[in-house]
Amino acid sequence: MSTATTGSRAESAERDPKTPAAAPAGRRRVPWARLPGAALIWVFVAFCAFTFLFILLSSLKSSYNVLNHPFRLPTELKFSNWSKAWHDGGFGPAFVNSVVVVVVAAAGTVLLASPAAYVLGRNQNRVSGGVSMYFVLGLGIPMQIIVLPLYSIMAKMHLIDNLAGLIVLYIVVNLPFTVYLLMSFFASLPGELEEAAALDGVGPGMTFWRIMLPLARGGLMTALTLVAIACWNETFLALMFLQTNDNFTLPLALVNFLTQQQFTGEDFGVMFAGVSIAVLPMLALYAWLGRRITEGLTLGAGK
Amino acid sequence: MTSATVGVRRGRLQGSPLARRRRRVFGPFLAPALILYTVLFMVPTVYSFYASFTSWDGFSNPRWKGTLNYDHLRHDPAFKDAFFNTMKLLFGCGIFLFVLSFAFMLMLREMKGRKFIQGFIFLPHIVSGVALAAFWDFLLNHDGMLNKGLHSFGMGPVDWLKPQWQFNAILLAIVWINTGYYVTILMAGVDRIPPYYYEEAKLAGTNSWQRFRHITLPMSWDVVGTAAVLWTIGTVKIFEFILAFSGSQGNLPTTNQWTSAMYVYGETIGGTSPIYDFGRACAGAVVTLVAVVVVVVVLRRVTSRDRLEL
Repeated sequence: MSTATTGSRAESAERDPKTPAAAPAGRRRVPWARLPGAALIWVFVAFCAFTFLFILLSSLKSSYNVLNHPFRLPTELKFSNWSKAWHDGGFGPAFVNSVVVVVVAAAGTVLLASPAAYVLGRNQNRVSGGVSMYFVLGLGIPMQIIVLPLYSIMAKMHLIDNLAGLIVLYIVVNLPFTVYLLMSFFASLPGELEEAAALDGVGPGMTFWRIMLPLARGGLMTALTLVAIACWNETFLALMFLQTNDNFTLPLALVNFLTQQQFTGEDFGVMFAGVSIAVLPMLALYAWLGRRITEGLTLGAGK
Repeated sequence: MTSATVGVRRGRLQGSPLARRRRRVFGPFLAPALILYTVLFMVPTVYSFYASFTSWDGFSNPRWKGTLNYDHLRHDPAFKDAFFNTMKLLFGCGIFLFVLSFAFMLMLREMKGRKFIQGFIFLPHIVSGVALAAFWDFLLNHDGMLNKGLHSFGMGPVDWLKPQWQFNAILLAIVWINTGYYVTILMAGVDRIPPYYYEEAKLAGTNSWQRFRHITLPMSWDVVGTAAVLWTIGTVKIFEFILAFSGSQGNLPTTNQWTSAMYVYGETIGGTSPIYDFGRACAGAVVTLVAVVVVVVVLRRVTSRDRLEL
């Protein structure tokens, strides 16, 4: 931010860096000294851009061209890769499964987390503090600790290889983060509206539903998006709990496809079409809600 | 004075009709999330500790066998690999990642189009690790893109994925995937430093290294600490990238590529011939969790002490 103000002084700084007036321009003194760093960043950016362009473009090329001319633009657009991936590669049903799981799990998580986050965020006492800590604790517990007892529980309830079972697990494992995220949103809302509602005789349930929830819309949207991203990409639990191809979500379909390929000969065009099916929705979501996603994901670090 | 009046107000609010109504919904609002979280998250956590002292296949009742699982772990090469690799990710990868992220962040602050760049390098963090692994494999494979590129410059193919390099290829990918995320976190921390600190330091005739050393670093130290904790927790979750990158033909990756999560999967239901040794896998997970807790506590200590020195 201060670069704008220092810019005009850059020239005088070059002459005499010691004088106080010139000092602010220190960073502009030798721009070429920063060049290697800037170049490195641009290489990094270019690589990231290249990765996704490459995946998308390769999904429209023949396997031969992907392999032998990886850097060439597609000469013809082979949309048949996509239909092959969708129908024969198992990505179609997996896409549908993923969408169902993501939508229900994200909605379920936010539905359960928001009332809890509301009372925890608005009540500042020892009980709510303790319960908040109890939720935050879950952020530090890795999946591999809980997964085996969960496996046993789910097996007893016949929820292994069952999408509904997976949805329940996704809701549970996303609760700690979502409660934590929404707590700070609810805590930041002004109290006057609640008081006014109470004076008007609006019940606490209604106050939450009609007044506080709409006010926390931004936070709810962020929570929905982040849970959706987490579930869309989740692989470990899916791999533990799903067994048949009909139930596979996209990451599993992709793992499965990569495995199959090694037996049946590789079709890289179809492979990248499959990869695109898994990646493209996230890219679209990011293009649409980018700021929300980065801010939500990095929010916790500020505290 | 003000704090006293606030105290009085709060005291009055505690007993106000509003507070009482709020307390009435406290239980019902909290209960569903709290019960589900307790039953399917915290109870399994505690149970895992218990199961680590038993012989258990996940279906029949666990049988107590004391610390035998832990004794076994000490001599289990697969576990040693998994644990050592996780630590390699945590420290080796972590130090590299943090130095790179911090450097990128500092340079980005002075570059045009910083938001745009930040947006771009964040991308790998939000897509599936399996998808990235497919790309990474295609890049480094023997017939892959990198060798094709080298070939057009007349250089011979390099075996990037030979066994002793393969895990390094994974480490590099993990750095690539996470850099954007940590740049953003660190940036948010450094952005909070009030600009007048820098302005005054400049008036005092400091150079940019001194400003970095005496303002940026100490003032962002607690964010670095938090980011390090996030990284510590994150590394033990690394799983699908390695599975998709190093696994082949339906088999799990060889154990020298394993991480903590892979061990739990591999010792129970993973692979072509599942082992179902839930007890030992739980012990492995417990050891990892304890290691994480120790690292987090140490990190907290270190970062809070340095903050006090300010």
